[in-house]
Amino acid sequence: MIELLNERLYYLVAFLLMGIGTYMMIDKSNLVKKVIGMNVFQSGIFLFFIVIAYVSGASPPLVTAPGPYVSPLPHVLILTAIVVGVSLTAVALGLIVRIYGEYGTLDTTVIREVSEDD
Amino acid sequence: MNEALEIALLVFVVGSALVTALLRDVLGSIIAFSAYSLGISIVWVFLRAPDVGLTEAAVGAGVITVLFLLTIAKTVRPTGERTVERVNPGALIITIAFVAVLSTTVFALPPVGSSESAVVTDNVTNYYLENAYTETEVNNVVTAVLAAYRGFDTLGEAVVVYSAGVGILLVLQKEVFE
Repeated sequence: MIELLNERLYYLVAFLLMGIGTYMMIDKSNLVKKVIGMNVFQSGIFLFFIVIAYVSGASPPLVTAPGPYVSPLPHVLILTAIVVGVSLTAVALGLIVRIYGEYGTLDTTVIREVSEDD
Repeated sequence: MNEALEIALLVFVVGSALVTALLRDVLGSIIAFSAYSLGISIVWVFLRAPDVGLTEAAVGAGVITVLFLLTIAKTVRPTGERTVERVNPGALIITIAFVAVLSTTVFALPPVGSSESAVVTDNVTNYYLENAYTETEVNNVVTAVLAAYRGFDTLGEAVVVYSAGVGILLVLQKEVFE
């Protein structure tokens, strides 16, 4: 049991990071912190992908290095995902700056109250 | 030696993620997140993914931190007397349930580093590893796949970044053109 878990420690860390991201997105009333939580969740998924590509004792996927190699495909997916994640964060933060200009606060409970009053 | 380093690094990553979640001050939270990104970029290097590690260090620890700092510079940084935030039991229960459901899959997954896992033995992986150099003359297979085999994917990615830029300009139109 312990050995089985030890072999799969990285998966547990990935799930834990996703959990921390979920907690931040549910609990925080500050919008900036919600976006940070989204980023933590994302990197949990990234960790999961990179871990399934990993082979112990293998080289990075550079053909100048001696084989065996880790799988290059998840690396490519995650490179794309990181860049898309940055775009997502940038747009979210742009919206947050706009919301602040409109409501004067970043607290979701206050924003909800104000928009219900309108 | 390697094992101990790896575990220490994972503890650092999870610890800084927890600090990010629990700090009340937004600036403190952003700095902890930046440390977390740096830690995880070293994890990528341990997992033999140097390209991802470079991107994460430049983008995760660099660009994203700057974006967050710019945001709180343009908006507010709420101050409070408490350093650490109170834990919300409702959110914690949902989180624990979520992690528990995910964890039930752990034993169905191949052990980390197994050379018989589906991803590693797949034909696609082996095709790229065997033919990338002869077909594209690029030594780095990740680059070969990114720029040659899946060039259209990367074009799509560029479109996403472009639309994000246009989106931000549209959203912030007031501030930009006033």
